[in-house]
Amino acid sequence: ACLGLADIKIWVLTGDKLETAMNIGYSCNMLRDDMNEVFVISGHTLLEVQQQLRSAKEHILGLSRVSSAGDVEKTDMFAEDSVFEETIIAEYALVINGHSLAHALEPQLEHTLLDLACLCKTVICCRVTPMQKAQVVELVKRHKRAVTLAIGDGANDVSMIKTAHIGVGISGQEGMQAALASDYSFAQFRYLQRLLLVHGRWSYFRMCNFLCYFFYKNFAFTLVHFWYGFFCGFSAQTVYDQWFITLFNIVYTSLPVLAMGLFDQDVNDQNSLRYPSLYKPGQQNLLFNKRQFFMCTLQGMGTSFLLFFIPYGAFSVTVKEDGSNFSDQQAFAVTIATSLVIVASVQIGLETHYWTAVNHLFIWGSLTVYFAILFAMQSNGMFGIFPSNFPFIGTARNCLSEKSVWLVILLTTVVCVVPGLAVSFLRVDLFPTLTDKVRHLQQTTKRQGPQEQNLRRVRRTSSRRSAYAFSHQQGYGELITSGKNMRTSTVSSARSPQRTPHSSNWIENMLKRKNEVSCISV
Amino acid sequence: MMASSYNAKDEDGHITVSGPGGGTLRSKKPENTAFKQQRLPAWQPILTAGTVLPAFFIIGLIFIPIGIGLYVTSNNIKEFEVTLYDMSGPHQNPFRNCNNVFMYYGLSNFYQNHRRYVKSRDDSQLNGDLESLMKPSKECEPYAYHENKPIAPCGAIANSMFNDTLELFYNDPNGTKIQIPMTATGIAWWTDKHVKFRNPTDNANLTAVFQGTTKPVNWRRPVYELDTDPQNNGFINEDFIVWMRTAALPTFRKLYRIIPKKNSMVPTLLRGNYTLEVVYNYPVRSFEGRKRMILSTISWMGGKNPFLGIAYITVGSVCFFLGVVLLIIHHKYGNRNNSADIAN
Repeated sequence: ACLGLADIKIWVLTGDKLETAMNIGYSCNMLRDDMNEVFVISGHTLLEVQQQLRSAKEHILGLSRVSSAGDVEKTDMFAEDSVFEETIIAEYALVINGHSLAHALEPQLEHTLLDLACLCKTVICCRVTPMQKAQVVELVKRHKRAVTLAIGDGANDVSMIKTAHIGVGISGQEGMQAALASDYSFAQFRYLQRLLLVHGRWSYFRMCNFLCYFFYKNFAFTLVHFWYGFFCGFSAQTVYDQWFITLFNIVYTSLPVLAMGLFDQDVNDQNSLRYPSLYKPGQQNLLFNKRQFFMCTLQGMGTSFLLFFIPYGAFSVTVKEDGSNFSDQQAFAVTIATSLVIVASVQIGLETHYWTAVNHLFIWGSLTVYFAILFAMQSNGMFGIFPSNFPFIGTARNCLSEKSVWLVILLTTVVCVVPGLAVSFLRVDLFPTLTDKVRHLQQTTKRQGPQEQNLRRVRRTSSRRSAYAFSHQQGYGELITSGKNMRTSTVSSARSPQRTPHSSNWIENMLKRKNEVSCISV
Repeated sequence: MMASSYNAKDEDGHITVSGPGGGTLRSKKPENTAFKQQRLPAWQPILTAGTVLPAFFIIGLIFIPIGIGLYVTSNNIKEFEVTLYDMSGPHQNPFRNCNNVFMYYGLSNFYQNHRRYVKSRDDSQLNGDLESLMKPSKECEPYAYHENKPIAPCGAIANSMFNDTLELFYNDPNGTKIQIPMTATGIAWWTDKHVKFRNPTDNANLTAVFQGTTKPVNWRRPVYELDTDPQNNGFINEDFIVWMRTAALPTFRKLYRIIPKKNSMVPTLLRGNYTLEVVYNYPVRSFEGRKRMILSTISWMGGKNPFLGIAYITVGSVCFFLGVVLLIIHHKYGNRNNSADIAN
């Protein structure tokens, strides 16, 4: 249910029989009694299957839409291969068995199948062979602009796991084959929710921030030379010291952004699980697309412009306190380099949402290391050892001891940072996204102190079905009907959002007692 | 079919495998430390009106006074500039204060920051390394050897050293011209003069030390005859050092001489007419360069530079204004961050 709120569509592909699969569906709340219609496709021939698919589709869409040939209605907005999907208010479910699926996956029917499946809220495929599992995943991958994830725990799921964009294997009961073939593996199905809504979302968020910042700082760093070209006869004279160029990306600015990429969180994990729709920006590519890239490039260019021209204006006639010169190449370089490192550090500070101790260490540490290396490399000692390699001897001392230089650096930093700050503030204030609202809520909650949190309890609609038939050994019928092993709290009443549709506690109880491989393979 | 080994799976997926031989293997569960489970304690700031708007106002309130201070200080600095192309008669002196007065020469359209030019020097040679003295580095080409002798100092930067002489004379009311005393030392950075530039030996007889080398092509005198003062001769000549510190921009000025103050009572330069005598050695016409002489006093922030003051005032006012605008916008249209809005 949680994942459904996050706009993730869940399809069940199982090797079980039809009734078993449908019962599982009802027990997991994927199929509900209040659904408008549950379509069961169980034709034996191609024509039968085609008929059933089309009639189901017509039922959903209304007769006028589906043309007689059963072709997909294509609009100009979508790419050639994508499938037209209409948002429908009513809820439908599709159950198709393996035999029909074999027919439905034929080239002439697969589009119809895909359309129909996407119009339904839930799709359950039963009696599916491993090959068909992979084929279904392949179908979705090829024709829809969606990212597919396949999760399974047995050897029969390996082909499906390998076909999907992301494969998740459950390690444990059925051995390690699924886990070995997958990108991620964990021990229980319910961890999927955390994987997606918490860690997946954080990963996307961090990656986008990381990329944005990386491009920004490199543009700011490099384009200064572009502006300088106008004043040095376009001779490609570098503005900075050679050593600074070498160390900038490796030492001075690498660790803070690494810390941000590892630890940053926009919303904490409980809230990520509580508000699954926070997952949507990731699906819709909102945090890093062409527009975002363009914006951060623009910001980098603007910063480089200010980084060059403010010292340029200040240095054109400046002299030191004792009257001696100061508007030389090396002092200019040191001033701009120092401003750049400070601006980059302030910028990453503003973009970090989650300041752990590591972040603090890396950011302040990088600044300290910059000054330490600067003074070390421009000291008498280094010059004594390698005179030709350290021509900047004495510059840092002479330059950074001037008050006017620090005033220039302060001015540059403020001018580079303030526009970005103003824009972000306005965006959060006037057009807050769900993320902003949740963060605001988080902060107010923290300030109010730990209180009794009212967990939203998803009321599970009680199914009117009361019989669950499994094919097991003798004796279990009495066990179930006597109700001895059923824990009422987990079956009927309130349910915390942590539980995913896929595992019910009493089923696992059964497994424990039986010590056997269960029939639930999805 | 019963499996031969028992795999128990408890509530949170902790797998302990007991093999046939007994004993438990290591569990595969990841460590539950705060670091590995992304539970590190952290400070989570967010941009609220309460933090951003005061920041803008504070920046504005700090920058505007700084800017005003800078601008006023800059305005108080007296500067006098004359272009050196003709020696029209005596000029008036606007200086009245009692501090040191600094004389600069300025060049325009001279690209000391050209890449090939900047590279054309040998810092080892200038540091007094004897081997480099006789074998200048390849970077100095084509100004490394002349008539089969190594050039000392080599390179294009040294070769193009400014060699006009400027002298200032005071026109006494009764007609005599009194030369104003000017010091030629104390114009370069201490680190340059004492660390970066060293003569090949400390021997006072520099003529012998520089035996076997030749002067740069465009120079009139060799390097060991730049000044009679032995502390200002050879590579450590301060005019030379000042010139070797390449300028960042094509229009620059370099310190030439310092007119020392007499005492705090008497103005350094009396009111009256002054004459500047220039010996023109330095040709700038070929690259459309221009020369000028500047007399200036200085302050704690350096020479006369209104840019910084104006920039600070501008940025401060813009920040303050922006703060006001944001406050208005926030008041009217903001407050949409209510948690009640969160739809779920």
